[in-house]
Amino acid sequence: MRSLSYVQRVSLDFSGTLFPHAICLGDADNDSLNELVVGDTNGKLLVYKNDESKPWITRSCVGMLTCVGVGDICNKGKNFVVAVGAEGWFHLFDLTSTATSKSETSSQQEALFWDDQKPCFTQHIPANTKVILISDIDGDGLSELVVGYTDRVVRAFRWEEPPDSTDLSCGQLVLLKKWLLEGQVDSLSVNPGPEGVPELMVSQPGCGYAILLCSWTQEGAAGPGEGTPATPGGESPSRDVILHVTTGRIHNKNVSTHLIGSISRGSKDESSKCGLFALCTLDGTLKLMDSSEQLLWSVQVDHQLFALQKLDVTGDGREEVVACAWDGQTYIIDHNRMVVRFQFDENVNAFCAGQYTCKDGRNSPCLVYVSFNHKIYVYWRVELERMEPTNLLRVLEERSGYRDLLERLGVDPDDTDAVRELVRDVLYGDTPPRSD
Amino acid sequence: MDSFSRFSSQSNIYGLCQAGDQDLLAATLKGKVVCFKYQDVRQKIRPVAKEVQFTYIPVDAEIVSIDAFNKSPPNRGLVVGITFIKDSGDKASPFLNIYCDYEPGSEFNLESIAQSCLNLELQFTPFQLYHTEVQCADGYSETVFLLSGHDQRIHLYKENASLHQFEEHPVERLFPELQELPSNVLWLDVLGISGGRRLSAFGCQNGCVGLSLVEQTGPEVLQSWRLQQDSPISTVLLFPLRTRPEPEPNKTDKNSYSESYNLLLTSTVEVAVVYRDVQVCGMSQPVSLQESDQYDSVLCALVTDLDFDGHREILLGTYGQELLCYKFQQRSFKSPLLSITYLDLTGDGLRELAILTLKGLHILQHSLTWTADVVFECLTKRLALQYSEPVTHAATGQSSEECTDETTDRPDPETKEQDITGL
Repeated sequence: MRSLSYVQRVSLDFSGTLFPHAICLGDADNDSLNELVVGDTNGKLLVYKNDESKPWITRSCVGMLTCVGVGDICNKGKNFVVAVGAEGWFHLFDLTSTATSKSETSSQQEALFWDDQKPCFTQHIPANTKVILISDIDGDGLSELVVGYTDRVVRAFRWEEPPDSTDLSCGQLVLLKKWLLEGQVDSLSVNPGPEGVPELMVSQPGCGYAILLCSWTQEGAAGPGEGTPATPGGESPSRDVILHVTTGRIHNKNVSTHLIGSISRGSKDESSKCGLFALCTLDGTLKLMDSSEQLLWSVQVDHQLFALQKLDVTGDGREEVVACAWDGQTYIIDHNRMVVRFQFDENVNAFCAGQYTCKDGRNSPCLVYVSFNHKIYVYWRVELERMEPTNLLRVLEERSGYRDLLERLGVDPDDTDAVRELVRDVLYGDTPPRSD
Repeated sequence: MDSFSRFSSQSNIYGLCQAGDQDLLAATLKGKVVCFKYQDVRQKIRPVAKEVQFTYIPVDAEIVSIDAFNKSPPNRGLVVGITFIKDSGDKASPFLNIYCDYEPGSEFNLESIAQSCLNLELQFTPFQLYHTEVQCADGYSETVFLLSGHDQRIHLYKENASLHQFEEHPVERLFPELQELPSNVLWLDVLGISGGRRLSAFGCQNGCVGLSLVEQTGPEVLQSWRLQQDSPISTVLLFPLRTRPEPEPNKTDKNSYSESYNLLLTSTVEVAVVYRDVQVCGMSQPVSLQESDQYDSVLCALVTDLDFDGHREILLGTYGQELLCYKFQQRSFKSPLLSITYLDLTGDGLRELAILTLKGLHILQHSLTWTADVVFECLTKRLALQYSEPVTHAATGQSSEECTDETTDRPDPETKEQDITGL
């Protein structure tokens, strides 16, 4: 297994403590460049921009923040920052106005956001939140908010406001559905199903997952509400929850499991069909599967994996699976099961990976580690030319015209020793220097 | 394409050497030697770091230095030398182990070489273990070990072929320039140059640098220079300026073709310096490498053409965890840099940069896409030179045009250029 040593990093100041899902990367201020959003247990929301060690913006929320997100939750064509506390307070922030100068903002907006420090919308939703997802889960082209709870419940909400409303205060989150799961939900994700329609997936202990059906799409005009009320005895889970167990070596049926879906395959025609998703467990199992339940690979490692992300490190459009362990060991695995690893030298409090604008004013793939000693480390140069170790001859073989060129030079392309000599001679030999 | 292998204990500046064509040996303090190579497994290559069990290294030994060479023809075989200090509590005893297999067929087999050991007890604390080729009386050349010690001397170990062993020989007979040294030598470099001569340079603990021009037959010291710096010398490195002697078929006069040689000197405190034309001017024409003292001590150095433009770049590895490249760029590491070599590990003709740091071994590969462009371009040019027929010319002309298009698109790797003026 190839190991790497990344060194290009910036450290950000972060004095609080956080929940593992209270960190995300996204375009918080709608300038097409991504920021890092972090929420701490004191209710402070911090947004970091570029390589500045101090937060660009801080906001105060009510309660302990357990999850943060960035997305077009209101379906207005722009991103909002969402922060949800354990006590059930949902906060919505519009950070676009802070990025644009005052002269550009309309007077109406100024009137609305008379106090920049306050969230532009708050609402109380059921408490004990754990993880959120802002995504289109029912295929209607509009974003929904999905919240996972510590009591094995998942709820889906939709932002609704009167058609003639002009500000967010008229709108509210409306519950679409509630699902009750058998086990703890550690991640929520959306993955294209076998027919290409998005499916809401949640992780289940023991390297399992469940697909949650959005019954309101079938019921048509049926009113939203508690689709499946919690049965008091909790004897049978809902029929809208389709549980899948994956086969293989599972040592512990209750081991915490993470999941990530919609892993890009690179080419457009393929990605529209079966979606790729990955699973990881705290006891070190990693799996890549597609939505037809076909296993692409399985990897067993001896580190406790607690975070699972996707990131295109090679720049070929195919996203690699990135898994991080508590002790900082990080695995990057491509679709062909080629593994590279990187050891972050500290224990990790929280981890995320994605596009972030750290330097040079453009998004680049980054690995973000929250340490236990008041620092967040962003590794901003993690691109690799390729995942697989290879040599020059193999790269040359892939070029068109290469074999022909060798033959015309009187060198047999299959004679490795001769070709190696030729390359050595070209690069280091007594030929005239390359003119540039 | 880079790779990193973490070691269980730290290494030092004498801890890395090339063994054979495609293997790399790295020695760590706690008596372990790791062999790093790329293995061909089912049409794919894999980086492999494997511990080699060199015999007769006690568990409580601390390895000081390691070196390896292939015997000069007509002799065959790989020789590995390891110096270590066995600390059994009351008295530390230093040793030099030389590993060499005489069994036909296994002269290059590292596993079997590691089992055949010649154990020499030393009377001094060893420093750098170095090897170089010397001219013997019968016209043959032979490779010998040179070992510097804390007794202000350099010791020479030469093979006794009839007895299948290595013996210490007086150094002054073959290396008259290496006697009566002013201090302990930390680094030594010898370079054979045109006209049957050689240049020898050494850097000492007290900051003294010695340079000599020697006639190989004799041998006879033609000229020698000394220089005093204020801090210990970490590396001395002799190198010719041009990567490739340009062929000049019209000129038969040997004197008109004279290569110029340079000496790179890195010190633990001061700025690294390149002395130019040392074979003529000695150490009178210094060019200092700006800001090379800004990243703690420079511990290792390498001179090589990294971008294949025909001009060499100077690489300096520092304790401050930076790899400086003059006329190129710099790159940061996670731990102090101890040693650098440049060799072909992947067996494709292209060399890789191996850097030993305090925590492990880094392998840096060239950007293969970029190098493939360069090779393709060079091969196309070479083809165009070979064929002068107009028909072939037209065909190659087209393909070389495609290549030039690629060149312009290619991102320039030379960012943060640090030019050495006058070099």
